Amino acid sequence: MKFDLDAVFVEHGCAGSALATRILRALPRDVPVTHVADNETREATRPASGARDPFGAGKRRMVIARRKTPFLMPCHAGSSRFACCGYLVLTLASNCPMDCSYCFLQEYLADNPAFQVYANFTDSFDELDRLIDNARGRSFRVGTAELADSLAFDSITSISRDLVDFFASRENLTLELKTKTDEIENLLGLDPRGRVLVSWTLSPDAVYRSSEHLTASPAARIAAARAVLDAGYRVAFHFDPLIAYPGAERDYLLLIDELLDTVAPKQISFISMGGLRMTPRLRGAARSRFPGDPMLCGEDVLASDRRFRTFTPLRLNLYRTLAERLRKAGVEIPAYLCMEPASVHESVFGAAPSRPATIGERLARG
Amino acid sequence: MNADEIDAQIRMLAAGRRLPPSHLARWLAMDLASRAAMLDIANVIRLRTGQLMTALETLEEIAVREHVTIAGVLDRLEIRRIVGRPGSAPSRASALLEALRTLRYPLLKKMQEQIRSEVAALKLPRGISLVLPKELGSDELTVSLRVRSAAELARLLEALDRSRPGLTRIIEMLGGKK
Repeated sequence: MKFDLDAVFVEHGCAGSALATRILRALPRDVPVTHVADNETREATRPASGARDPFGAGKRRMVIARRKTPFLMPCHAGSSRFACCGYLVLTLASNCPMDCSYCFLQEYLADNPAFQVYANFTDSFDELDRLIDNARGRSFRVGTAELADSLAFDSITSISRDLVDFFASRENLTLELKTKTDEIENLLGLDPRGRVLVSWTLSPDAVYRSSEHLTASPAARIAAARAVLDAGYRVAFHFDPLIAYPGAERDYLLLIDELLDTVAPKQISFISMGGLRMTPRLRGAARSRFPGDPMLCGEDVLASDRRFRTFTPLRLNLYRTLAERLRKAGVEIPAYLCMEPASVHESVFGAAPSRPATIGERLARG
Repeated sequence: MNADEIDAQIRMLAAGRRLPPSHLARWLAMDLASRAAMLDIANVIRLRTGQLMTALETLEEIAVREHVTIAGVLDRLEIRRIVGRPGSAPSRASALLEALRTLRYPLLKKMQEQIRSEVAALKLPRGISLVLPKELGSDELTVSLRVRSAAELARLLEALDRSRPGLTRIIEMLGGKK
């Protein structure tokens, strides 16, 4: 286990489940385990009132619970305002042991920050089977990283093994495991049969050092990508959030060069980009938790979607510079922008984006 | 003044201005030189509550961005000039906030100036107005015509057509192409 836990809570209904058994077996002995009634989890795991950083504390309190709502849903960032990528989200966990200063979970999970993993996660496989049964012939890209990192804690949960086994046998589904870790050991011995892609959020060293606490270094992420590629997985990369700090353009181009030196352009399934965006509430929470992080003090202004974003010419110029470098790589790498309108997509790539379902299928098929 | 005296004066000024406790706490959390420099400016320019809050927030952000102290920012020539120049306290207060904003958003300010000078260079006739997106928060340029006759409309459309290269340049700047 690469991340520290202060405590583990097991709902009574999940005691004895395969996931709880695995986790408790892999847990260091000094981590206290408490069994709680199913309807008392929230109260039992709430950090002490007056805790200095309840959100940070919540990250180190794991709850093994039963998910009572559907696992599968459209990406919450989807909106008619934006050109979307057709990503489907499978929520198998909620929260993340890493602590990026800009992370939207600081707002999204502010009231319930414990790290939840769902013991009944295999129920999600029924939902996925229903999805493909109801849409025969279509392909879907499904990711587990909306409310959690896909691989953090995989060394104790081993959920990735179940997922890879399941997706490897479903022709029309592609699993995306998105991470900022290098926890890939479980993946290396499996055969994904071309249906699993592992993706990394990549940031320059300056952002990693300033903002991405407890994550693997960019170099380690790229090295991990190389390793899973060699093990038969597809790989993709997210330059998201793209942060327009002084020197960003040079640093991002160097990062792309470093990436392409290790992973050939034709081996990259896709690249996404998305500028740093923060609601006023998130911006307040992030700055209060990380007051010294210059990455949170960029030249951001309140945009029409009520999020703070880098002012438009600077943001678009950065997108365009990166897109240009990728175009020059010699092979067309599929690329899209996250949470940007179609007009921005067109301005950056020179063509209007396809419909979300079409993009989703294209990214799923590779 | 020693640290206790400075803090007592800060508390007194904050109480007089009804500064929110969160902002007072931020002020008191600064290093001593920064607390004192901020107090000095707040007294000399007589910043009102909102201005004081904005100044504190902007100064904090500049300090974080540039890895400097707030005292270091306030000691810059452009700031000292504003504080030391003659003129009313309100005009100096607004000049101070504008100068701080320029330090906080250097590229945005530069870009806004460049685009405004492009707009001015078009010398568009009365009746045509260009509205830039607020704080360059989008890439959308609003062009509006105000006319009362068909002849006037024709004249303005011709003027717009003549300005096409300049307008194109402005649109490209808004889209980050320049």
